[in-house]
Parts: sequence; structure tokens; C-alpha cells
Amino acid sequence: MAALLLESLMLGPDKNESLWPSVGIDAIHALCITLLVIIVATAYFMSRTRPVYLVDFACFRPTSTCRVPFATFLEHARLMPFFDEKSVRFQVRILERSGLGEETCLPPTNHYIPPCPSMEAACEEAQLVIFSAVDELIAKTGIKPQDIDILIVNCSLFSPTPSLSAMIVNKYKLRSNIMSFNLSGMGCSAGLISVDLARDLLQVHPNSYALVVSTEIITPNYYAGKDRSMLLPNCLFRMGSAAVLLSNSHRESARAKYRLLHVVRTHKGADDRAYRCVSEEEDEEGNSGIRLNKDLMVIAGEALRANITTVGPLVLPVTEQLRFLATLVARRLRGARGWKLYIPEFKCAFEHFCIHAGGRAVIDELQRSLGLSAAHVEASRMTLHRFGNTSSSSLWYELGYVEAKGRMRGGDRLWMIGFGSGFKCNSAVWRCLRTVGTPVEGPWSECIHRYPVKVPDMIKLL
Amino acid sequence: MDLLWTISTALLLCSLLSILWKESDRRRNRNCYLLDFVCYKPSDDRKLSTELCSDIIARNKRLSVPDYKFLLKAVVNSGISEETYGPRSIIEGREECPTHDDCVDEVDDCMYRTLDQLFLRTGVSPIDVDVLVVNVSMFAPSPSLTSRIVNRYSMREDVKTFSLAGMGCSASPIAIDLVNNIFKTRKRTLAVVVTSESIAPNWYCGTDKSMMLGNCLFRSGGCSFMLTNDPSLRHRAKMSLKCLVRAHIGADDDAYSCAIQKEDDEGRVGFHLSKSLPKAAVRAFAENLQRLAPKVLPVGELALYAVRGLRHRLWRSKEAKTDAATAARVNFKSGVDHFCLHTGGAAVIDAVGRALGLAKYDVEPARMTLHRWGNTSASSLWYVLGYMEAKKRLRRKDRVLMLSFGAGFKCNSCLWEVLRDLNDGGAWEDCIRAYPPQTLVNPFMEKFRWVKEA
Repeated sequence: MAALLLESLMLGPDKNESLWPSVGIDAIHALCITLLVIIVATAYFMSRTRPVYLVDFACFRPTSTCRVPFATFLEHARLMPFFDEKSVRFQVRILERSGLGEETCLPPTNHYIPPCPSMEAACEEAQLVIFSAVDELIAKTGIKPQDIDILIVNCSLFSPTPSLSAMIVNKYKLRSNIMSFNLSGMGCSAGLISVDLARDLLQVHPNSYALVVSTEIITPNYYAGKDRSMLLPNCLFRMGSAAVLLSNSHRESARAKYRLLHVVRTHKGADDRAYRCVSEEEDEEGNSGIRLNKDLMVIAGEALRANITTVGPLVLPVTEQLRFLATLVARRLRGARGWKLYIPEFKCAFEHFCIHAGGRAVIDELQRSLGLSAAHVEASRMTLHRFGNTSSSSLWYELGYVEAKGRMRGGDRLWMIGFGSGFKCNSAVWRCLRTVGTPVEGPWSECIHRYPVKVPDMIKLL
Repeated sequence: MDLLWTISTALLLCSLLSILWKESDRRRNRNCYLLDFVCYKPSDDRKLSTELCSDIIARNKRLSVPDYKFLLKAVVNSGISEETYGPRSIIEGREECPTHDDCVDEVDDCMYRTLDQLFLRTGVSPIDVDVLVVNVSMFAPSPSLTSRIVNRYSMREDVKTFSLAGMGCSASPIAIDLVNNIFKTRKRTLAVVVTSESIAPNWYCGTDKSMMLGNCLFRSGGCSFMLTNDPSLRHRAKMSLKCLVRAHIGADDDAYSCAIQKEDDEGRVGFHLSKSLPKAAVRAFAENLQRLAPKVLPVGELALYAVRGLRHRLWRSKEAKTDAATAARVNFKSGVDHFCLHTGGAAVIDAVGRALGLAKYDVEPARMTLHRWGNTSASSLWYVLGYMEAKKRLRRKDRVLMLSFGAGFKCNSCLWEVLRDLNDGGAWEDCIRAYPPQTLVNPFMEKFRWVKEA
């Protein structure tokens, strides 16, 4: 067919015209073939999966009045009536090695001695963090609230009735036929679960906008007891929130920043050890808190490996996949002891990594597991330093860091990895569609010039 | 040339046929079938008689005598029988300070009992479940309730789980909506949905009247059901989803705050039901029906409605026509055979029945569910469906409408088509013969006659 076309082009229009009748194609046949081509092409394009664009995102920027510098943390811990000397020293030791800086923030109620968590205060924190992020997103994108078709909110440890999604519908007067979902209890990796759900919904509903809000509300979750395994969240969790606008509309392809390529979810809950490593419990005195087991890092590593097994084939070059497959087979045949599992070079598949800033140990473990350099995990470490562990929204603060540093170029690939209770490891792969300019506003705008900072292994506080 | 033409046409025709085949395959896999559902039946030691309710209410020493009378009146007039169930922690006297284990045990008992039965009846192995959704509005522990189920049943690593919370009494259609959307993106998918409510941590211990009604009406209940879009399982399915409509009027401040969890003046958390709740319910209802009617009613009925509306506009009647009254003029029974109404309370059922122009026979399943099980929140629709099935009302090609209301304020509905004659007794097995009873009047009406005189 191609040779024929080439030949006819070389002959010229006159010769073609004279040849036409001899070819035996009359007008009706030509019309039929043309129509068929058009129909097939249209059907093909309609049946493809819809692209999911990330138009823009915004993160909550806490005010400096909510800051908890080390001295404040130490002083408050000492003055809390329910902590004994051992509990105070334990928390301080955690903070010394945590990788957090002096500018992380807690909500207003946590600044009281003792904190006075109430439902009203929790709702106020939710309104503050969520509405700030959504207001900024609306200002950045110019989207009208009435145009939002899908709303997904995830907040693990605070779920009032009506839900936080209903609170957003009320505040922004969203449409009555909105598809809203409120996820709760799903841990620090719930942000990517929300993105996954939004992606599925955007496959079904053309020309739609999805607003995803990820947050964690700190107010009701302060642990007021002495069990050490439950004191860690007090030291690490800080306030934060992110609002993300996704769309499958073709109009947005011109201004969207990223395109979602893959979301992979791994749930290790079938394994009892994994299931129990992060759990909400009551201590002997009846105080409620989140218990973190000592083997959390080991479990995170195992969950990551399980996730990589699915992500790898989607993103890695063929050579890396073959090497990974070969070691898997060898380990099966000769036993796990005989062969060390080969960790593929993910550095050649991605330019940027956003690893959940769960704590210094999590970032260290992932850096080691994936063979990443300090530069690759810089966004995660700096986010942990500046904002603390903001749970599901931390990935977005990290992305904000990369953008604020002016490192995001068109064509760059980004890997977001989140971990959470259950135990889950979820990851998302994005491609940057255009070089992103350094944002003028945003949580990093006032401090990015000071970063990166050297985070010492330990800061002596006591 | 002829050969060339033939080959190219053949190729194009093949492509067209394959696209058409893909499209028809996609359509076959877009359906949402209900394979089975299992309603939760707690153990008999958890039954809440009126007498026991009275004792539990009396334990709250903060209540004055008028408050006590108000509550007892609510219980006695609620249309709820002596057979409904409450959480163990409340029966055993820990309503003011339930432990985390109390709350978890309450939900676990419901989830695991119903899921055990569901897997047994359907013959499906937990390892084959692709999507798991749990909705419990007022309890969301970490790890989530979905993680509890994944752990208990050793589900796969790639199972997609979603834990919905805070979505109120109308969360069942929301969970179905979520699954239905996922079904349109993947073939041969199996989903399990668990819907329940947590009462143990939500008992109100204060004296605010607007928050006390929840204590009187909510009862323990739940349901697990299995959905699939696999066409090869259609022959085993009970029903097929035809359409689903969600209406959310939370944009209106009164509607948003008419059913809301908050603290009273003394800092105790309770579920506040305001006086503007009926108005919000009517608005949400109308909003939902406006979008539901064209999808559910036959063309003839819609045409008739249009004609009536036009006539009303041209020859304006002096009587004021409300939304509800207008809705009554649309005959929903022309497109729907059975109505699963949320058992929010006797008044709610009666009001919705009137608005839809339903007869006593049509609201009977909802009234009997309220009587036997109380208000079990999001799972109430399934008990109503269970009643219809136990009464052998559900025949092939019948259309069943589920309609519920919830905090936010939302009105959600979904229409099912019955695929085969259904006869299962389910949770109603041991008592269906006694329904409908001679009277719905509380047997303690005599004993507590003084509350009527209050």
C-alpha cells in the first residue's frame, strides 16, 4: 500500500488521473473506504484510556504562631501532668534524632498545657488547613467550584459526621450531583488511594474535574500516656494539608503540570506482623494512641519490595527488568539465601523521588533499599525538616520543594511512594508535561532560599 | 488492483469488527450484579427491650424527669419492637466510657459474621475479591476496617480497599456508586461491600434534647453484599443495577447543619438533629427525584407528567403546589414495583410514602424493618430488601428502588432489576411468619401510659 502511494506521488497528478479508471476504484468505493477509516479511527480514539492530568496542587502553609521549636516541645513535655521523667526523656531522644527542624507546626489546641482537644477544635483545625489549601488551589487554577465533578477527601484519624467532604461541599457550594467520597482510617498512604480512586472515576466520566484533598488532623490525636511505643506520633506528626486538581479534559493538557502514568497499591494486611505494626490502641490507663512496632522498618522494606515487583515492569528499561527477573527465579530455585535480591536501578527510570516523610528512619531505609543518592531523597528530608510528618499530604510538600527549587523539567518522571497503616505501600508515577517555573506563593516560598540544610544525625537537646 | 482493494477493505472491516467487539465486550462488563447479601443478626443476649431501654436511660443521672419522660415517649412511640439489638457495652453499663476494644468488637462481630456467611453462600473465596469497601460512618480506627478484613481473610496484596466514613445513613448507595464506577474500568471484577454503623462509641450522655433521639432510634445492624460485573456470573446473581442517583444539598447551610455531630454546651459529643431536618429532607428528596424520574419512569408516564405540568402552567390553579405534592402526581409505581425506604423513623417512612403516593403494602417492608430491627442506619435498606425476599415478593423482572437519606444532607437512590425469583429468608428466616403483626403498638404502652399524658 505504501509503495503504491509512493509510486503514484512520483507520477504526478496528470498521470494519476489517467491511471484512475484503470485501477478500477470508482467514487463509491473510495467513499466507503474513507468512511470506514474515519469510523475506525474515531472508535479507536474513543476506546483509549483517558489521560489523567494534574492541573495544579496547593499545600497549606502554617503560620509561624503555630511553630513548635525544640525548646517549646521540651518545655511543654516537662509541664504535661501525665508525662513522667522517663516519658519526657524518651520523647526528647526521639526528637533529637528525628530529622525535624524548628519550624514544624502543631494546631493551636496542642499549644495548651495540657492540650484541650475537643471536636470543635478539631473541626476548626480541619477548616483552617483544608480551606487554606483549597482557596490557594482555586486561586492558582481559576477553577470555579461549580465545575468540580468529583471530590475525594482522605483524613485518617478524624472523621466527623457529616464528613469532611460534606464540609467542603458546604463551604464552596459545590453542585448537588457531585460524586463525593470520604476515606478514613487508611493511614499515611491514603493520598495515593484517593488519587487512584479519582483516576478510576475520571476514566468513566469524560471532561471532568476531580478535587482530591489529603490531610491529617492532629488535634484529637495527642497521646497523653506513658507507653513509649505510642509516644512517637507526638514527636513526629505535624499539621498539614494538600489540595490537588486532577482532570481528564483535553483543554487542560496545555496547562497541566503532570500526567498520571501509573498507580500501584500493595496491601500487606494478610501478614499478621505487617497488619499489627501500626495500630490505634488504648494503653493500660485507657489513653488512646497509635502504637508503632519496632519492626516497622523491616515491614516497610518488605512492602516496598512487593510494590516494586509491580511497578518495575511498568517503568524500568528491559535490561533492568530481565536482571530483576533472573534473580527472582534464581532465589525461587536455589532458595532466598543463595541469591541476594537484585534491586533494579530505579534511578534510570525516574528523575525525582517523593518518599513519604514518615520519619528519618523511613527515608534512610528507602534510600538504602533503592540505592538512591542523597540528592534523590533531598526533597523528602527537607520536607521532614521543615514541616514534619504531615501524613498523607507530605508527598505534595515534597513535590512543592522540587518545584520551588526549579528542578522540574518537561519530560521528567516522578515517583511518589507512600506507606501507611494496614500495612500498605502505594506508589504513583507521574510525567512532567512542561518545565515548571518556581512558584511565587506556596509553603516553600519564604524559606526555599535557606534549603537544603544539613540535617545532623543527632541534635543534643538535653 | 482488485486484490489490493479486497485486502484493504477486508482489513478495514476486520478493524471495525474488532472495535465493535471491544465495545460490546465493554458493555457486557459494565453491568453491576448483586450476587448475594447477608444481613447481620446479633446474638439474642443483645436484645434491647423497652424496659431495658428505660433502665439505660435512667442511668444518666443528669437527666431531669421531663427529659426522662421525653426519651421514654420517643422509645414507646418509635414503632420499634422489643426484638431490636444494641451493643454489648451499652447493655453492660459502659455506655459513658466504652473502650476501644468495645467499639472494635461491636463492628468486628457484624463484619465477620456476615462475611463468613457471604463467602459460604456464594462459594467465592476471599482471595478472589478484587475490591473491598467498608462504610461505617461514626467509627474509623487505624488500621482501617478494610485492613481488619484483609487481615482476617488473608486477601490478596493487590486488593483495592476503600474505607468510607462520615457519610451518614445514605452511605450504602455511595459504596455501590464507588464499586459501579470501578466496574466500568476493569473486567471480571468481584467486589465485597460491608455496611454498618457503630453505636458503642456514640451514645450521648448529655441533656440536650436534640441529641437524645439518636439514642432512642439507632440499633445494631449491618450487611455484607457481593457485587460483580462478570457476565458469566449473571445466572447466579439476584439483581442487576439499573441506575443510581446521588443528590447532595450540603451547599445550603441549614441542610448541612440539620444532622450534625457536635458537642453540646457541656462539651459532650452527640448527634444533633435540628428542626429544619424535615425541610432539608424534602429538598434533597425533590432534587433526587428530579434526576431519578427520567431514568426510572416509562416514557408514557413522563409524557403524562409533562402534560399535567403544562396544563398547570397554562391554567394556573389557585392552590399552591409544593414539590412533594407535585411528586405525588408522578406515579412512581409505573416504573417501580418495590420500594426499599430508609428506616429513619416512622415519620420519615410515612412522609416518603405519601410523597411517592405509596399504599400501605408498599411501605410495609420499611415499617416492619423499623419494628424488627430499628434504625440500623446505612444497612437498613438491606433489611427492607430482606423482608421483601423473605415474603417472596421479589419476582423476575421486578424493579426495586432503594431510597435513603443521610447527614450532609444527601438523598441517594438506586434502582435494581430482579434477575430471578428470590426466596431466601435470610435474617428474617425465623420471624417472617409473624409479620406483619396485628399491632405495632409498643406492649409497654400500658405500663408507660403516663408518658402519653406528659
